Amino acid sequence: MTLAILEVQGITKRFGGLTAVNDVSFVVEKEAILSVIGPNGAGKSTLFKLISSFLPPTFGQVSYEGHRITGLSPHEVARRGVVRTFQETSIFKEMTALQNVVVAHHLRCRASSFGLYFSSATARADEERFRKSATEILVYLGLGPVKNALARNLPHGHLRALGIAVAMAAEPKVLLLDEPFAGMNIEETEAAVKLVRGVRERGVTVILVEHDMSAVMRISDRIVVLNFGIKIAEGTPAEIQKNEAVIEAYLGRADDELGH
Amino acid sequence: MLVNGVVLAVNYALIALGITLIFSIMNILNFAHGQMFMIGGFVVYYLYGIFRINYFVSLIAVVIVLGTIGWCFETFFFRRIRKIATREENSMLLAVGTALLLENLALSIFGEKQRGVPPVVTGVFRIGNAYLPAGRLLVMILALALVIGLLLLVQYTKWGRAMRALAQDREVTHLMGVNVDRVAAYGFGLGAALAGLAGGLLVTVFGVNSGVGNVYSIKAFIMIMIGGAGVVPGAILGAIVLGFVEAIGYQLLPGSITYLLIFIALIVFLIFRPQGLLGKPWG
Amino acid sequence: MGLDRHETARHSAAEGAVAIGQTDQLASGRKLRFAAFALIMFLVIPILLGRSPYFITVLTNGAVLSFISMGVWITFSIGRMNLAQGAFALVGGYAAAILSTRYGISFWLCLPVSGLVSAALGAIIGWPVLRLKGVYFAMTTLSLTEAIRLLALNGGDITKGATGIVNIPRPGPISIFGITILRFDGANPLPYYFLACTLLVLGILGVWRLSASRLGWVFRSLRQNEDLATSIGINVAKYRVMAFAICCFMGGIGGAFFAAFHQNIYPATYTIADSVNFMLYCFLGGLAYIFGPAVGAFLLVISFELLHAVQDYQTLIYGLLMIACMLWLPNGILSLGRIHFRQRKNLVS
Repeated sequence: MTLAILEVQGITKRFGGLTAVNDVSFVVEKEAILSVIGPNGAGKSTLFKLISSFLPPTFGQVSYEGHRITGLSPHEVARRGVVRTFQETSIFKEMTALQNVVVAHHLRCRASSFGLYFSSATARADEERFRKSATEILVYLGLGPVKNALARNLPHGHLRALGIAVAMAAEPKVLLLDEPFAGMNIEETEAAVKLVRGVRERGVTVILVEHDMSAVMRISDRIVVLNFGIKIAEGTPAEIQKNEAVIEAYLGRADDELGH
Repeated sequence: MLVNGVVLAVNYALIALGITLIFSIMNILNFAHGQMFMIGGFVVYYLYGIFRINYFVSLIAVVIVLGTIGWCFETFFFRRIRKIATREENSMLLAVGTALLLENLALSIFGEKQRGVPPVVTGVFRIGNAYLPAGRLLVMILALALVIGLLLLVQYTKWGRAMRALAQDREVTHLMGVNVDRVAAYGFGLGAALAGLAGGLLVTVFGVNSGVGNVYSIKAFIMIMIGGAGVVPGAILGAIVLGFVEAIGYQLLPGSITYLLIFIALIVFLIFRPQGLLGKPWG
Repeated sequence: MGLDRHETARHSAAEGAVAIGQTDQLASGRKLRFAAFALIMFLVIPILLGRSPYFITVLTNGAVLSFISMGVWITFSIGRMNLAQGAFALVGGYAAAILSTRYGISFWLCLPVSGLVSAALGAIIGWPVLRLKGVYFAMTTLSLTEAIRLLALNGGDITKGATGIVNIPRPGPISIFGITILRFDGANPLPYYFLACTLLVLGILGVWRLSASRLGWVFRSLRQNEDLATSIGINVAKYRVMAFAICCFMGGIGGAFFAAFHQNIYPATYTIADSVNFMLYCFLGGLAYIFGPAVGAFLLVISFELLHAVQDYQTLIYGLLMIACMLWLPNGILSLGRIHFRQRKNLVS
């Protein structure tokens, strides 16, 4: 039997009169890749913010390794091992790729704030370690050649990978990827799919929100489908492809989807 | 006391609307707003108080002088900084710089003395138990007329629509064929003129000196923080709240304690509602 | 194009090395420049200008104003435009004044304690206020300057209201092995100058250290993207309060120094204009440079004195100069000396 690492229990978020996410529950198994899909405005991004504690839910809770993480501040959640990326390419633009990833090693610092300031032996050893590990992460994600380039000068595809590198540096056990394939062509998507699989092979559980159906079908172990904030289906890619409610949700909105 | 509150509130509304106009159109916080208010006061002091020119003509002169200053600021300073800025702080710093410039300018030209003007109208009205000097009534009516006029202008004229469009989305407005730079310059001029008019009105009640600029800038900031920055109803609500609180506070407490309490209340308020009463939540 | 790319990479590499190593040539070049600066401050200037109390006083002011502004520079580094530094200088000044006149505590103890008082107050106020960003933070801190002034004005017997606290005792003499080396009397401002330079040199060293350490990088990450910083586990609230408290600490120390230097403090000693000036010094020197606040402060303080010749228009010219700098030197005066950095900027954009 596989172990559940993250459990979403009856989570609901209301903004004023609007219910963005309505009583959604699901379980994520350890070292699985789970995708959350749904038409535009289905509440996927809100769900993401709820899991990573960037937003407080109206009802319900999220547990991670059996402990409730709802109500903790977002950096606490990251500290426990649930790390998110952002939809837009969100990195520290005025730093080099390497600096981005070195800074992101923050959680692994053993030195105190004073130690950090006075560059204590611990702090220096830390930095040495971080630089090695950051370089390793960058090389692994194919960013080795550009590690000393300013992040703002990097092309789009590299930025996406750098976003993941930054998240990886925080040593996540659960990685939340917000539309990792958005705006990519077929080749780039292919590379990104490999990358996400690689991340999973390092023992990281991946939850991703995505539009790109073909990529989702290829990569996911399980899929959760949202529509108007409600979970309308959950299952393996094969099950989802046959699911009536899902087909209807997407066909009913086919025009919208084509509009993009 | 309540009458004073109304007088203050209406004039503060002029100030708050001016700064809101500039803020929403150009996303610049006009740190020089209080200094513009002060210059408006001095224009009236010289034209009406010294040269004995008709009060209303003096007010028109205020509009011209401050409108020109605002227009120049946008055309020569802010337009350039928007193009070359590398950090978002640059335009804010420039705004602070213009405030300093106007303050020093006023200090050099007008000196440090407190100036007052002779009353425009004399007489006292009695409303119930309260006495209302005619001068204050006039200031109140004029300010009210200006506020209403401004709201109509923004709502129904072509320029008003262009400005509102600009506040919504700069890019799209530009694509729609509006001359964005021109509208921004007029918007800045209008905002400055409003500050000047408020100064020109209140000089008849409180007088003016070259040091009041920062005081009124802060009042403007407080109002838009209470109401919510960049929102017209917020500006008016903020003005009403501040006007009455101030009028009541001055009646009951020694002057500077009122403001101390206002500041403390403001900081506590911002903890719970950082976007102001009517503002949209922001990140 | 190929060359451009190569250039970019090379410069960035240099920057990266300074950031996370401090061992290469660039860093030693900086050390050399810093040593030269300290030498000029401690030896050359006193020898050349030591007989002119006027110049020494001007430079003393410049040094401590630089020190105070460096705090503001730190809040700039976390992406906040801080207009409250005048308030915290006032807090530090009053703390020193009250401790020394009322309780007879030595200046040498008052100095750090005042800094700590300011820092503590800064942390308490900063905790909620730092949640605001951009103009909202600027507006609130500006109001804070006025609020603290009013607090001092209404402080009753503690702050003595508008009459302020006068006759603040001078610092005690510094002696080594029983030989007095610095005596702070009214006759000669030179000892104050030395104290001010010591503060400045320590301040620059401290900020330099900070900006090269991980703490500095965490601060920078906050400026560039607070949400991302949160997502990688950085306690954003904690670090921004820390940055603000360090800033207030420096403000408080500076305020305490001036209180002892002028032997008095009034509610109007630091007003909004001072808060604005502290920020302008940073900006005019250059926000990207550690020496920025010091360069800005000295330049403005000295040019302000030089403009005495055209007394009537002194403040006006001063104002115009500053606007001109903002329009034509948006990255500060120090950006002039870094042409190669500028070229890089062009490549980038």
